[in-house]
Order: sequence, then C-alpha cells, then structure tokens
Amino acid sequence: MTQDHQADENRAGKPAQQVPWLEWLAAGIGSLLVLGVFTVIGWQALNGSTPPAITVTVDTVAPVEGGYRILFRALNRADEAAAQVEIAGTVSTDGGEEVSRVVLDYVPGHSERHGGLFFTRDPRGGSLAVRATGFVAP
Amino acid sequence: MPNERRNLEPGSGFLLKAKLSWSAVRVGPANEVTVTSERYAIGLARAFGGAILFGLPLLMTMEMWSLGFSMGRGRLLMLMMFTLMMLVGLSYFSGFEKTFSLKEDAMDAFAAFGVGITTSALLLVTLAVITFDMSWGDMVGRVALQSVPASIGAMLGRKQLGDEQDMKAEEERKQEAGYAGELFLMVAGALFLAFNMAPTEEMVLIAFQMTPWHALALGVLSLLLLHAFVYSIGFSGQENRPEGGTFVSTFLHFTLAGYGIALLVSLYVLWSFGRTDGVAVAEIANMLVVLGFPASLGAATARLVV
Repeated sequence: MTQDHQADENRAGKPAQQVPWLEWLAAGIGSLLVLGVFTVIGWQALNGSTPPAITVTVDTVAPVEGGYRILFRALNRADEAAAQVEIAGTVSTDGGEEVSRVVLDYVPGHSERHGGLFFTRDPRGGSLAVRATGFVAP
Repeated sequence: MPNERRNLEPGSGFLLKAKLSWSAVRVGPANEVTVTSERYAIGLARAFGGAILFGLPLLMTMEMWSLGFSMGRGRLLMLMMFTLMMLVGLSYFSGFEKTFSLKEDAMDAFAAFGVGITTSALLLVTLAVITFDMSWGDMVGRVALQSVPASIGAMLGRKQLGDEQDMKAEEERKQEAGYAGELFLMVAGALFLAFNMAPTEEMVLIAFQMTPWHALALGVLSLLLLHAFVYSIGFSGQENRPEGGTFVSTFLHFTLAGYGIALLVSLYVLWSFGRTDGVAVAEIANMLVVLGFPASLGAATARLVV
C-alpha cells in the first residue's frame, strides 16, 4: 500500500496523470452506456412510429379440470405499444358457439405477451379462432 | 502508515493553501488537486448506494415500467439529455468527487449516468421487470427511464452517504454562483421530486377530483410552504435575505421564481410522460398545481439535499 502511494506520488508530479485511472474507466464506461442507450432510443425515434398490429397464435390446447385451456401468444409486430389489448377466443362446435375473453395490460412494440383462455367445450372438437379485438393507446 | 492515513483523510479544505501544505491532497501545476483511485473508488461506491436509495421508489413503481416502452421516443431522448445537463451542473455543486473544470464535471456526469444505468439494469433484471425474451427496444427503454432518477441519486450519493464533506467549499460554490446558481438548484430539486410523483396515475386522478377551489388552495399552500421552507425555518441550507431586501422583493425574487420553476418543471415532466396530450388547458393547469406541490417542496429543499 505504502509503495503504491509513493509510486502515485511520483507520477502525480506530471499533469498528464492527475486524473486517476479509475475515473477514466468510470467515465469511459458511463459514456459508452449513455451512447448505447441514446443510439437505441434515437434509432427508435427515427424509425418507429407504426401503430400497434397484434397477431395471436395458439400454442397448446389441453383439457383441465372443468373444461379446456388454450395458451396463446400475442405478438405486436408494429413499433408502438398497445394497452388493454382484448383477446377473444371463439370455439364453434355443432352444439353452438362459446366465446372467452381476456385483457392484456400491455403489449409493447415488437414484443409478445403470453396468456390463456378457458372453455367448457373442447376446442379440438370444432373450430377455434383467437384474435385481438381492440386496444387503447397507452 | 501515518502518511497513508492522512491520504484518506476527508475534507482537507482544498481551497485553503495553508492546509494543503500538510494535507496529502496534492496540487498540480494548474492548481489542480489530484484524487487517487482509492478515493475515487470510495466515491463510486457511494454513487451506487445513492443510485439504489434514490432510485428505489421509482424502481418499484409500475407506471415507470410501462412508460419505459410506451412514452414517445423523442421525448425520452430529450429527457435523458436534459438529465445529463442537470448532472453536469449538479457535479459542479456536489458530486461524488470534487471537480475543478468543465471537463471533470462532464466526466463525473457520464460516470454518474453509467452508475445509474448499471444499477437500474441490474435491479430491473433482479425484480423480473426485465426478462430476456423482451425486445431490445423494450429493455433499453425501461432501463433508460429508470436511469434518470438513479443517476441523479448517484450524483447525490456522495453528499448524502458520505461523511467526508467539504461544506465550506460547497458553500463557497453556491455563493459564487449567485442567483443563477440558486435557480439551477431549484430546477434540480423540483425535477427530482416532480419526477418521483409524475409517472403515477394518481397525479391525473387527483387533478380530476379537485374543484378549482381545491386547486387554488393547493397553489397557495405550495407558495406558503416554499416561502417558509427557504426563509423562515432555521435549517442549514437557509438562504439569507438579500441585504435591505423587503419581504415583497424577497417573495418576488425567490418564492415566486421558485414556484414558477416548479410549475415549468412539472409541465415539462408531464409533457414528457404524455400526460398533457389532448388534455384541455384547464385540466392541465389543475395537474400543474398538483404536481407543482411536490415540485415546489423539492425546489425549496434542494439546497439541503445538494
């Protein structure tokens, strides 16, 4: 420790070494991070302004206690985020139609959110359609 | 060993040359004081502490997460540049390191921003607010917005968590900067407190609930508290009344100016978060008064915190 200090002391005589290396490192890493964040956001600012477009894909259909459960993914292919996205699933069988709905709080741009719907009729026994029915701007 | 102890000794009074002769804080040719890496590391550790402490309330605020990806990208970029400028100014008055030139203030500002971004990213990942199946834009947006309070916290960390304060030097700087410096500190204080409240839905909800009479009462209360905080209560950051200044001139120069700053900063922050888009002027005025309340308290107490 003492030797380190003396080495420091000797070097400190030269004005070029007055700023400690750790300060350069911290400021350097900070500048890089700031530059990176600014670049990503700036790129989005210049390129991203398409309103939400949400597509829903069904992943699995499985029987659960008291009915059937489907798991889906809602993908927002556009730049802007959508809030309160309503997802409606319709099962049509010979016996009639059954509609289940769920609301996703947010689906950010170019992102997906996962969710599920419950039905009493077996979706595999008829036709299943799941789609986003609406959203509000956040 | 005794020499080394002195090296780490705080508050050597770098403006007093007499003290510098025995102090281990060294003076270079351009009268610049050098700081060792160890001391800088201590300052950096305090900066991380400050970033966590001051950033925590907003880290755990739901609206901040969604604003991170949903607020206008141009406005987010502007907010970050504004923050960077505030950091340079704050570094001048009180950073995690004593600074002597614009270059060092800028370096400190970037370091503080880096600390803010790193802290925010780590904590948001830990809290599962950020997961790696998110898109890049989403992740970066969340971290970027969160880094605003965290980096200001990093800058204030030294003052709040450190025991080695050079109050004298700080006071001298505040004296030198005069009225403009006073106004700058008010902007910084107002920004920090307004930013802590503005993301929540409650700001808008309260504005909707209030009648014009409520708003007027809150405005008057803000002004009274602002005046009382800065001039009447005998705390350490107390501003002296200008010599020969009457109550009216003091009120105009500091209290009204401070409230004006609080309202402007509130407007800027609300606009940044898109809270004013498509809203009637009367309703915006209500929101300004609501957010102006914490903002004016922030402006009034900035001198204590910074």
